Amino acid sequence: MAEKKEIKLTINSREARGKEGDTILDICRANDIYVPTLCHLEGLSVVGACRLCVVEIEGERRINPACTYPARDGLVVRTDTEQLEKYRRLMLELIFTERNHFCFFCAASGDCELQKLAYQYQMDHARYQYTFPTLPTDTLNDFLVVDHNRCILCGRCVRVCAEVVSSHTLSFANRGWRTMVVADLNQPLGESSCISCGACVQACPTGAIFSKTSAYRGRTNEGKIIRSLCSLCGMSCDIDVLIKDNNIVRIDGANLTRPKGQLCRKGRFEQVYREAPRIATPLVAAEGQTIKASSWEEAFELARRGIEAYRRRYGANSIAGFASSLCPTETLEAFAKLMRDTIGTSLVDTLDGSAYRTLTQGMSKFSKNGQGLETESPLESILKSDCIIVVGCNPLQSHPVAGCYMLQAQIHDRAQLVVIDWQQNSLGARADLWLRPNENGMGDLISALASMLNRRGKRSKQTQGAVSLASAALASGLDETLLEQAANMLAAAKKGVVVYGNGLWGKKDAACVRGVLELASLVHSNGPKAIALKPWGNSRGAWELGIASKDEVTDAKPKLVYLLLADQEFGGEDFVFRVAEQAEFLIVQASYTSPLTEVADVVLPSPIWAEREGTYISVDGKAGRSKRILEPLPGIKDDLEIFAQMTQRLQKRRPMLWKR
Amino acid sequence: MEKVKLATSWLDACAGCEMSLLDVDEFIIDLAQAVEFTRSPITDIKEFPEVTVGLITGAIGNVDQEEEAKELRARCKILIVLGDCACFGGICAMRNAFSKEEVLRRAYIESESTKEGKIPSSPEIPALLEKAVPVDAVVKVDCFVPGCPPRAGDIKYALGELLQGRIPVLPSDMMRFD
Repeated sequence: MAEKKEIKLTINSREARGKEGDTILDICRANDIYVPTLCHLEGLSVVGACRLCVVEIEGERRINPACTYPARDGLVVRTDTEQLEKYRRLMLELIFTERNHFCFFCAASGDCELQKLAYQYQMDHARYQYTFPTLPTDTLNDFLVVDHNRCILCGRCVRVCAEVVSSHTLSFANRGWRTMVVADLNQPLGESSCISCGACVQACPTGAIFSKTSAYRGRTNEGKIIRSLCSLCGMSCDIDVLIKDNNIVRIDGANLTRPKGQLCRKGRFEQVYREAPRIATPLVAAEGQTIKASSWEEAFELARRGIEAYRRRYGANSIAGFASSLCPTETLEAFAKLMRDTIGTSLVDTLDGSAYRTLTQGMSKFSKNGQGLETESPLESILKSDCIIVVGCNPLQSHPVAGCYMLQAQIHDRAQLVVIDWQQNSLGARADLWLRPNENGMGDLISALASMLNRRGKRSKQTQGAVSLASAALASGLDETLLEQAANMLAAAKKGVVVYGNGLWGKKDAACVRGVLELASLVHSNGPKAIALKPWGNSRGAWELGIASKDEVTDAKPKLVYLLLADQEFGGEDFVFRVAEQAEFLIVQASYTSPLTEVADVVLPSPIWAEREGTYISVDGKAGRSKRILEPLPGIKDDLEIFAQMTQRLQKRRPMLWKR
Repeated sequence: MEKVKLATSWLDACAGCEMSLLDVDEFIIDLAQAVEFTRSPITDIKEFPEVTVGLITGAIGNVDQEEEAKELRARCKILIVLGDCACFGGICAMRNAFSKEEVLRRAYIESESTKEGKIPSSPEIPALLEKAVPVDAVVKVDCFVPGCPPRAGDIKYALGELLQGRIPVLPSDMMRFD
């Protein structure tokens, strides 16, 4: 791209430089010249709605908003005249009298851009008559409240929802002073296409859209902001966490308008606090009794005695360890070391190990080292793709920011979005094409699509035997013309990327993973380019470290199970439950109480995400560091320290074992 | 030096502003030396005399408050208003989302603690205005001190300036709407 020409302006009698294509506001910001704004938000389009940024331009008949005025070489601009300041205060008075701005009980008071400007302009009263309109408040969404009384119609929420999130849920309805921000066709937000990502909360300059989880927990100037990364789903989004008195007040995207800065429902709201009770002390189950609080000493000893007894009686491989991939790399490594080196068992796995096995098995043909991670494409490739094929998952649920990338590519860059999933799928509903086969027709459908692409001249090294259109239609239950339409769409792709996820490993369908990768190699001229949306924040890290097991650990029927659940939510998953049920002796290391901790023999409290630190490897293999944000609850030990103490105790007793 | 005469009027308000006025600590002594409190919540004088400074807290929500504001305005040289209610309508203005009838029905009949309620209709009780409005919607105001309530420091600053013969506007860093 050609370097843009430099231009020179005179702003407030000083020379200011910028580039051709900049607005006057851009140049003011770049040259440290203060211009107040409300509707402007870096990274979004400009609309000139609030008129706070008005400036005087020599030769112009009237004042103009700086945010929309294209700068030209030689312009003479003033931003600070008495007249302008008068108009700006007037604008504020008009805004304040238009709706019902009651600061004293507003969640945004103290963090409100409108309020700050009113203070700055010493707006101690308004010279206009208040209109006191009767306006609704929408509280039906689980996380967001929209209070139209405080809306100034700046449109930042509308633009961020359209331009960044690409959900296009919010828009303006009506005209003039009856204008309202509405969701979809004026639905309550909770019943609309809103994905509750909360970008609008972060964009809102007033308290018109606020978060239920953060309201009244503290103001920015009362706390401290810590930059970290969200370790929940492996998108590794950058977060700014506001803390006050060792509590999380609010989680913001570190840079709302850039990729990985926008966050989702889970990262922004669900991580602020959780209702489930924390485990504050170790718990032990006395003989035939329910589990009760104990000292660390008692718990460590019981765990040690258990481990030694089972090792003595049945050998080390009667013991198995399972770790949550929500733990950072350091914790996972230390856990594996404890299990393998100190205890001596080879049975170590992650709780999402079956996903790993399905994936590596499916990938093996495309891989030199057997792990297959070289088929994995960076997340940003979604944004650059011309055709996105989503197989067996709904990123809007599992990895919402990835889902938003897809919508962004689809809506703003005209990429084709094809969803192949048998389950209910909200992304499918927004796709250009949603192929919804029978539950068991996925594999056939994907092979058929590959064959149809072969017939359209698309070949790759891995091309398999042909599947006929008729048999695919029969197996998938889909119409032949629909399949033809899909094949035509995919055949046109040059930079196609395939994103697949939980639906495939939920069924342990390695053949389908292979099919998906074959398909991926046909839609990209330099393929295959694929992204597996792995279950947890550090799944990829755990897999790269070789902590996830190649074989099914449950097949070995371990008698003692050490479960490092950490703060992973126990949703009663079949797998974890089966493991726990099978075990004669169960050690659980977890942050929150759950049915699992009820049936355990020893429970060791574990810190939550904000209380620990460590390395996380994102879905696409990039390392990032999650920082310790909160001081752990009193009495909570770091996971690493727990492993160190267990190791010490087990090693101390070892000579006695040998004597026997 | 002759004392400056001050009259205060407490209209549609919660008493928070008066509390904040008492919160000025030892400045209250300086104030008492410089100012003669004529009509105020603590003097129980019924009528407004001619004063230099009139001080109003609260919005204007009924006909009596409307009349009182006009009366004080007529008898003072400078009118200062304290608090969000007086400056913007504040808490009192939140009822403006509903009609007068709805507000009365909710308060006197539908409230959870009321049994067989009745909307008072005695002519001795001042009638509600359709909307509660800031003081400057009814009479001219010379000085505004917002805040819910205004901080004691804001009141001290404003009264201090007035005693020095200046009409103050709160500086940006003192302004609070909450």
